[in-house]
Amino acid sequence: MTASTPHTIGLPRALLYHRYGPLWRTFFRALGIKTVVSPPTSRKILDQGSALAADETCLSVKIFLGHVQELVGSCDYILIPRISDFGRGRSMCVRFESLYDVTRNLFRSSGQEFLSYNVDLLQNLEEAPAFLSLGQSLGFSPKEVKKAYSAAKKQEQQVWKARLKAQEPLYRAEGLKILVAGHSYILDDPYVGKVITDFLKQSGVIPIRADIVDRAAALKASPKLSPTCKWEFSRELVGSIALHQDQVDGIILLSAFPCGPDAMVNEILVRRLKDIPVLNMVLDGQSGTAGVETRLESFVDIIRFKEGSL
Amino acid sequence: MKTQRKIAFPRYAEYNCALKYFVEQGLDATYILQPALTRRTEELGAKYSPDFVCTPFKTLLGSMIESLEAGADTLFMTHGFCRLGYFGELQEQILRDLGYSFDFLNLAEHSTGKKKDWVRAIKWVNPRANLGKLTLRARDTIKMVQYLDQVTSFYYENCGFDASSGEYQKTYQQFISAMYTVTSKREIETVYQRTMDRLRRIPLDKPAHPLRVGVVGELYTVMDPFSNLELEQKLADMGVEIHRWMTLTNRLIHYPGEKNLNPEIRDLCTYEMGPTSTANIWCARKYAQQGFDGLIHIKSASCTPEIDIMPVLQNISTDYKIPLLCLTYDAQTSDVGLMTRLEAFYDMIDAKKRMRR
Amino acid sequence: MKQAYLGIDVGSISTKGVIINEDNQILSSSYIWTEGDPIGAVKRLLRLLEEDFPKDTYTVMGTGVTGSARKLVGTIVGATIVKNEITAHAVGTTTFYPNVRTILEIGGQDSKIILVENGVAVDYAMNTLCAAGTGAFLSSQAKRLGMEVEEIGGYALRSQHPTPIAARCTVFAESDLVHKIQMGHPREDIIAGVCRAVVANYLNNVGKGKKILSPVVFQGGVSKNAGVVAAFEDALGCKVFVDQNGHLMGALGAAILARRSRVRRAFDFAVEDLEFHTRESPCGRCPNNCEIICVYQGDRLIDAWGNRCDQGAVTPD
Repeated sequence: MTASTPHTIGLPRALLYHRYGPLWRTFFRALGIKTVVSPPTSRKILDQGSALAADETCLSVKIFLGHVQELVGSCDYILIPRISDFGRGRSMCVRFESLYDVTRNLFRSSGQEFLSYNVDLLQNLEEAPAFLSLGQSLGFSPKEVKKAYSAAKKQEQQVWKARLKAQEPLYRAEGLKILVAGHSYILDDPYVGKVITDFLKQSGVIPIRADIVDRAAALKASPKLSPTCKWEFSRELVGSIALHQDQVDGIILLSAFPCGPDAMVNEILVRRLKDIPVLNMVLDGQSGTAGVETRLESFVDIIRFKEGSL
Repeated sequence: MKTQRKIAFPRYAEYNCALKYFVEQGLDATYILQPALTRRTEELGAKYSPDFVCTPFKTLLGSMIESLEAGADTLFMTHGFCRLGYFGELQEQILRDLGYSFDFLNLAEHSTGKKKDWVRAIKWVNPRANLGKLTLRARDTIKMVQYLDQVTSFYYENCGFDASSGEYQKTYQQFISAMYTVTSKREIETVYQRTMDRLRRIPLDKPAHPLRVGVVGELYTVMDPFSNLELEQKLADMGVEIHRWMTLTNRLIHYPGEKNLNPEIRDLCTYEMGPTSTANIWCARKYAQQGFDGLIHIKSASCTPEIDIMPVLQNISTDYKIPLLCLTYDAQTSDVGLMTRLEAFYDMIDAKKRMRR
Repeated sequence: MKQAYLGIDVGSISTKGVIINEDNQILSSSYIWTEGDPIGAVKRLLRLLEEDFPKDTYTVMGTGVTGSARKLVGTIVGATIVKNEITAHAVGTTTFYPNVRTILEIGGQDSKIILVENGVAVDYAMNTLCAAGTGAFLSSQAKRLGMEVEEIGGYALRSQHPTPIAARCTVFAESDLVHKIQMGHPREDIIAGVCRAVVANYLNNVGKGKKILSPVVFQGGVSKNAGVVAAFEDALGCKVFVDQNGHLMGALGAAILARRSRVRRAFDFAVEDLEFHTRESPCGRCPNNCEIICVYQGDRLIDAWGNRCDQGAVTPD
């Protein structure tokens, strides 16, 4: 550890945090660096983000920018990775390529420093060496960084396995099962997607999350439903639907307004999923819950009616 | 044996003339040229597209429908690095659901980067295609695209100062028409040379330091005059020299590459932010440094990569004190609304230039 | 005889006119509703302007027209200059407020922001498609609350706890408003909330990325609403100036532009009594099917436009 080592790193509780949270927190903890995570999304956070982002920006990025605003000034660096792709046919939405630079430009006059690492497998930039140079840039030796990264990877896998294991039995549970297909950062966000899964539970339905899935198996299955779909996160959801559509009673496609990949992929899914009730739902985070609940209720009623239980 | 395929590609600025040449002279198939883009194309596309796709998706879909109506039996669609890479699959699905029957070559399915996959795609189109001849004609096609871009750039830099009555525009339009009928490399060269000679001979009434505006933006809308409501012509007609680096030649054929462009804009952005982001940021900064009078950023509604570079362009505008006009196009954007914005922009940069003198 | 200049601003909702002298003093002014009939509105406007105009000392020697119907009205009144409304507003405001740095403008359908340095506009933006940050939004919300749009400014000022209203777009805002009414929020709080929503929307859309520097001048029809003015001052943290003639600023700008331009042509109020009409016909010569707008004075075609290509060109008689 050297003099340039930062004391605290801020982690915005949005977007990739919901996927890499355990990895990031363990990595920095292992290096002896404190992390601060922004509070859960609130109306205030969304409003802050909306004031910064271009009007057409998607809800998830607006929320992200609100979280960044929340952290500005309270930490030495804010971590925003740049992740472009995991290889051919495994891209990220361009938002994840640009997020670090968009944020840096928007917060130019705030004096806040940002930290990044770059994953771009088409350019031979893998995650492990990206973390290595991240750690080294913070003043740690390669040995220290590698040790921290492998501890973080182990923790990440453990957390992920536990989540998979917890969900697996739901497919065999008794009752009306609905597969909810939405990005983790929507479903994990209490202000956005969690409202939906909570409401389903209250209505006596078993919501099952499509994003919690054996990712390798899902990637392999996704071309069955959409051969040229190239976004990693969309492919995980599409593959999960392909794997599980026979085990559930209905599917809710949940996206945030206006999500670029979802607008197209969900259109394909609606056109191709013929034998199962599908609800295509777009959340805008502002319209209140009344309209959303009405739509969910009637969707559940339609399924029950079809199955003869209503 | 099967009769020759009738191939079409959706309209894209005037680049269809090069595709026509390649299909007819290289692939030995028939090329179907559908009508130019009109409001009908836009309406057709919008009617059958999901709401939140970008405008080019809708326009291209409309143009595909018009090419099927014109008798095409085989459609081409390109791949791409943004949502464009997924256009083909969704457009094919929509057209099939509408009941059209056709063969579809979606390059997104063949873009593995391996030569043998390209060859397979070519053989699918025409099993008897001669690969040697095809390579030669492909070279001519690239040359055509370069000539189109060269003449177009030269035209918009000067047409606003045409001292004859409309000779400039007439010559340019004749050039475009001629490019749709060429059948050999020699003809391509002749048409190009003749056009440039004629354009250079037309007298111009151009001040020593004319107003110069740099145009950047999204790949399709920035290049397609129908989609951007002829922004370049409208602005040029006010007496402005228009510069637009973003052409197929510069982005695809002679692209300097991320490696060369990124270091020049490192202070503005660290990484490649999207497929055309680096080029647009680099280009906007270059215009600003060269003392241009204004910058215009063109994009279609909901184009993610272009939304994301807007904060960077804003910072360039602030740093270099260069006015920036951001325009978002969708099917509802009107000529009247655009004129109001352009006239005001012209007044602004004109007043600013006078003040400095 | 001294020279005077006429300025007309024909918007989608209202039509404004002024006559000024060489010193930019207002000799006559008027503000009426367009009511979907720009030609009729301009004739009524000219009659009203003529009443107060000191004909014996002045003649109108220059006519400037601005606003969304500027082309049509410019043809009819024989304008000496036709300018877009952004430039007209900037010119009008900087004449009366030479130090202004930011001009906020909210009209019926359009809203804009103009940034000024040393009396010259250096940057501007206009609203995109959404009407949520415009006067039309305010009127429709007032109607929903059973009030006149003119009343609501005063109401808003009484509020202690403005109700947060979702403001991203008109449709969402309306459903949220209904919801808040049903929840029993006091009317003044809801109205103050609507005023804040207009401001939030304006700043998030039109004002995005623009550095709003003081002095700030606010104009356009909505500037007459004290609730919105207060919401702006609150959001920007600085004084927001509203000129008593703010609603006339586009017309004033047009008149000043007419004075500055070298073209001089005497204006004849007899235009009021001439018969004009427009005919829109689809061109039909290509699939663009442009709406060609033909303007007739009696039976004589005086101007036509709307065609995208030469095939649709119409030559006046």
